[in-house]
Amino acid sequence: MITIEDENFLLRDGEQRCRRTYNTYSALEEICVSKAFRKTVCKAHCPPDQIHFPFSFQLDFWLNPSTPALPVDVRIPAHSLQAVKIFLESHGIEYSILIEDLQVVLDREKQDIVASQQMERSSSTFNYGTYHSLASIYQELDNLASEYGNIVSKIQIGESYEKRPLYALKIASDYGNDPSITSLLNNLDIFLLPVANPDGYEFTHTTNRMWRKTRSKNSGSLCIGVDPNRNWDAGFGGKNKIYLCSLFVPTGPGASSNPCSDSYRGPRANSEVEVQSVVNFIKDHGNIQAFLTLHSYSQLLMYPYGYKCTPPADNAELNTIGKAAANSIRSLYGTTYTVGSICSTIYQASGGSIDWSYDYGIKYSFAFELRDTGRYGFLLPAAQIIPTAEETWLGLKTIMEYVRDNPY
Amino acid sequence: MPGLRAALPAALLLLSSFPPAAAEQYPWPQAPGVMHPLNPNSREAAWAARTVLHYTNYRTASPSLLWVLHHVEKATVKVGGAITLGDIKYYLQFTIRDYIHEKHVGSCSATVLYLKNSPPQVRAKCVHARDKKQIQEADYRLYKYLQSQKKPITANSIPDNHGNIDRDHLSLLALAKVGSSDIMWKKSTEHVGYFLAQVKVVKQQIRTDDAVEFNFIVLLHKMPTQEMVACNMNVVWTLNDPIRVKYTCAPDNHELEDGSGQDSGSAAGTSHETKGNF
Repeated sequence: MITIEDENFLLRDGEQRCRRTYNTYSALEEICVSKAFRKTVCKAHCPPDQIHFPFSFQLDFWLNPSTPALPVDVRIPAHSLQAVKIFLESHGIEYSILIEDLQVVLDREKQDIVASQQMERSSSTFNYGTYHSLASIYQELDNLASEYGNIVSKIQIGESYEKRPLYALKIASDYGNDPSITSLLNNLDIFLLPVANPDGYEFTHTTNRMWRKTRSKNSGSLCIGVDPNRNWDAGFGGKNKIYLCSLFVPTGPGASSNPCSDSYRGPRANSEVEVQSVVNFIKDHGNIQAFLTLHSYSQLLMYPYGYKCTPPADNAELNTIGKAAANSIRSLYGTTYTVGSICSTIYQASGGSIDWSYDYGIKYSFAFELRDTGRYGFLLPAAQIIPTAEETWLGLKTIMEYVRDNPY
Repeated sequence: MPGLRAALPAALLLLSSFPPAAAEQYPWPQAPGVMHPLNPNSREAAWAARTVLHYTNYRTASPSLLWVLHHVEKATVKVGGAITLGDIKYYLQFTIRDYIHEKHVGSCSATVLYLKNSPPQVRAKCVHARDKKQIQEADYRLYKYLQSQKKPITANSIPDNHGNIDRDHLSLLALAKVGSSDIMWKKSTEHVGYFLAQVKVVKQQIRTDDAVEFNFIVLLHKMPTQEMVACNMNVVWTLNDPIRVKYTCAPDNHELEDGSGQDSGSAAGTSHETKGNF
């Protein structure tokens, strides 16, 4: 199936551009696009020396195969190691071993996690200042629900692709200790989904720290996973797939239609069970007043839209709330957040969660990009976990208090 | 100038044939040659400032003196006089922080000219209070240490998956940052920017001459597509010469820029195919 990448560029009059798109691994197509829509010449040529690796090898590509000249990183299960070596040698492909035994490396890392886990049988000893495995997080959810049973309960809103439960905590009713929190919880229930993509989260611990997507299989492709924040039903995909050679696809920017891309939007909106589960929960529950989502990184506090660059109807109000929340965040450690719509602060991207929630009717829809601004990026040192949480909480509280005081 | 007069109406016609979504790309009118103030919080301003820093980090070629963007104070933009839409020049004032030691601060005045088919042209003047002699001595100590190695230094994952950096690995990260700044500067466009996300692999290449050589695999986090771009990078460092960088990056699966060949290059314009084992 031929797919075309979404683009945001402008051509000079009469100019033609050729773009490469990937048709799984079996063909590399060059598509020539003319600004006038009149002429489209699509030609296909396959790069030399394409090699198809048997599925039975069960290879897990860390650095994806792209062109013949570039190295590829592959994780090979033990049972196919010998066969893969023979296969590579018979094709004259040089290889070297980066990690002899991945399990040894992971075991060493696990030892650290287990050591701190042993302290965490009750929530009073859970170490919030370190990274945790999925199992450890899920254990802590149980601890919280049991120790604070009067206000916290654990619910399951669905299952991931690999059948891991999607757990949320419902925080409700009278808290009693802190007047501001009591006042919040007297008026609102808070649902917290700590791990929205448990399959991906687990994968970052076991295999690829930089994995961003779900772990669903894509038919017709070796590549796995969908970007769950491009999969929501908000400006999803191109309006019309026949706009194959159209430059100005008005919807669907910033989300790839290539399964191998880290921002692959998926075959259709809500194709990912992780996304569909949240949508179902919101629709079934009803009366959701706010939708807040936490991401990393860049220190941004954003409201819709991402799929288009026109402001939402509530632009002024959302901007005011955002600025107040950013001020609260800054008050603790001086961390500065930039406030604005997704499109103006970060990029134009379709299929985002808060665009869907806002268009669904949830006026107070915000997305946070947490610390930092690029120095460590995704690899934020554990020492910053608690300070990040403390300051972010102040921002969330500001928004929640506004929501409490301004029902609609 | 008659030529210019004739050009203007054509430009307006061009604009009106664009559907609204496309016209939203530029939040300023596209009259050529006029300076337009830009919101310093905007993504264009931030990415232009980062482009400046990639360039200066590479050109300074000092692992002991690397900067990251702190805050854009002022930004203006000018569209090129020839109405070539790729010809956009940013004028920036921004503050900076030291990459390794956050407490050191500075500021820059810079211009970035984004061109169609070449890397952005950067002019920058940065001021800071770091002691020049101290920096030179730190670089010298590092250089001597690396040069004296008999057994090649190797390492994986800097920072590690939990954001930790071994003290011994800090200088390798800095060297990787210098080298990958060359890659990131060259690949930056008005709408595409990069961060160095992680050094996956580093392996020293022992040399018989004076130079220090390393092979890296670095992961670059590409915005706005969110791709992780893996690059093989070879860096040759001699203290008083420009650092030599050769690289090959895995082409992205979602390219915003005009891709007409595999991404590769060096200052000399040739691609270095990595041979041998890592």
